[in-house]
Amino acid sequence: MTGFWAIYRRELWALWVTPVAWILLTTFLLLQGGVFYSIVLHFSGATELSFDNGPIESYFGQGSIFLLMTLLLMCPALSMRSFAEEQRSGTIEPLLTAPVRASAIVLGKYLATFTTYLLMWSPTLLYPVILRGTGVVDPWVVASSYLGLALLGAAYLAIGTLMSALTKSQLAALMLSVLLQFGIFVLGVGEYIFEPGPLHALCSHVSMLSHMEEFSKGIVDLRRIVFDLSLVILALFVTTEVVDSWRWS
Amino acid sequence: MIEALNLSKEYGAFSAVRDLSFSVSAGQVVGFLGPNGAGKTTTLRMLAGFLGPSRGTVRVLGHDVSEEPMRARRAIGYMPEAAPLYPEMRVAEYLAFRAALKLVPRRERKLAVQRAMDLSRVADMRNTVIGHLSKGYRQRVGLADALVSNPPLLILDEPTAGLDPNQIREVRELIHSLAREHTVLLSTHILSEVEAICERALVLHQGQLVAEGPIGELLRHRQSRRVYWELRDAPGMAKSLLESLGAKTLSQVEASHSQILTLETEWTPDVSDVELQLEKAVTQLVEHQVGVRRVETARAKLEEVFSALTEAQPTPLPDRPAAQREELRS
Repeated sequence: MTGFWAIYRRELWALWVTPVAWILLTTFLLLQGGVFYSIVLHFSGATELSFDNGPIESYFGQGSIFLLMTLLLMCPALSMRSFAEEQRSGTIEPLLTAPVRASAIVLGKYLATFTTYLLMWSPTLLYPVILRGTGVVDPWVVASSYLGLALLGAAYLAIGTLMSALTKSQLAALMLSVLLQFGIFVLGVGEYIFEPGPLHALCSHVSMLSHMEEFSKGIVDLRRIVFDLSLVILALFVTTEVVDSWRWS
Repeated sequence: MIEALNLSKEYGAFSAVRDLSFSVSAGQVVGFLGPNGAGKTTTLRMLAGFLGPSRGTVRVLGHDVSEEPMRARRAIGYMPEAAPLYPEMRVAEYLAFRAALKLVPRRERKLAVQRAMDLSRVADMRNTVIGHLSKGYRQRVGLADALVSNPPLLILDEPTAGLDPNQIREVRELIHSLAREHTVLLSTHILSEVEAICERALVLHQGQLVAEGPIGELLRHRQSRRVYWELRDAPGMAKSLLESLGAKTLSQVEASHSQILTLETEWTPDVSDVELQLEKAVTQLVEHQVGVRRVETARAKLEEVFSALTEAQPTPLPDRPAAQREELRS
């Protein structure tokens, strides 16, 4: 993978040196802080607590409609730049004539957005630390919740990277990936609509809501992991093919 | 060094480059010449491996650009048209990134970046954000990028486009100095540029090679039919004498008090041997008491050669039979 590290470092640097990442980070943390605050407020007034329904589970699980909505915007915003901007400004030309394979470029760019995604979540690690001051926090639940988040983000960002390779406009890339992710989200809602059967099975398989619901309860289901990772691999593979195909346009 | 064989590129029904074959050996400076839209950029993009040819092959140091792209690309320093760069990076940062991409070993990177900046004269801007640079500087950063891995072959697409005359001169000098160690392939639509820098030119028109050869040979393709005269014309008859010999006056300056006549003439198409006719004219002028102070035959500019070669509907040149010109094309 020659060239991968150079691309990865530059992309990571470019994401943080432009205001985009900082604006996203600020908005994101404000929103998450608000959600967390209201959850804590709710639980502080509660008289009865069930074993598997504490603030952490609420934050990542039932409350995750807020969380998903922020992800729905945050991931496309992180990945929209990747290839669209290179195509628009023409910098793709020096990039593709350097002795680097398309796979190294795609992977470098993708992992840079993924690293940024993880960095954005890292301040929220304080929430479980705060909760530990007043109660018991199950570290396994925290770990599996973050694993769920990482997997979800990985899939969203891979889709966003692909969309970014399909257009020269960052805005179009943003809209396309929001649309696609929202499509998957809506498909998942079908779980609550359809009677048990093949449709219901499909919807619950792709459902992001039950995805986070399970991970927030410490249930690590291999099927979920396989689904997310295959989305990542498929999207990145197609992106590599798209980048390679530019040579023949 | 680089060899193209039957290179063609089609965009749908439009063929941008048609059946182009040529080779450039090490140490040459070769210019791609042609009007805008002749297929220069498409050709250079195929040579650099940015575009895949519809048909034909490109070999760089014996490596096929499509089949062994990594090996071929390592040998090339490519500067795309208008030198696109990342505007948010500083000059030295950008060059260090490019050096890493081009597999310059980590220990040598700093030196390689410094060398490239020195050569293309951007060292004084090393810490400036590229987005804040002027067009001339950006162009030179693009050139530094092409140089940073010290590749044997440089492919430069319009390296002087958008520069002011001083910068153009500097870039030309730089290319001259690079020619000692590198093979340089550059494109331009400014003909005097090829005349100034290149030893050899490939003339493209509508995607086809219409002429190829050393600059001097290309110039010989068209003999100039213009003559500049400076005559002391006491009897006031030189002009009519010249005209009777087939020299049409293009412009004239008459200094009334000194009787000096400055003329620019062009031989009419009836004159077949220009040199013999000139000889005859001078003899007759002298015989008629005209003082011949200066006779200067103009050297054909590449511009003239070029327009003759690339005219879509070529008007037959009087001094070159059509068959002979066809020969030159092939």
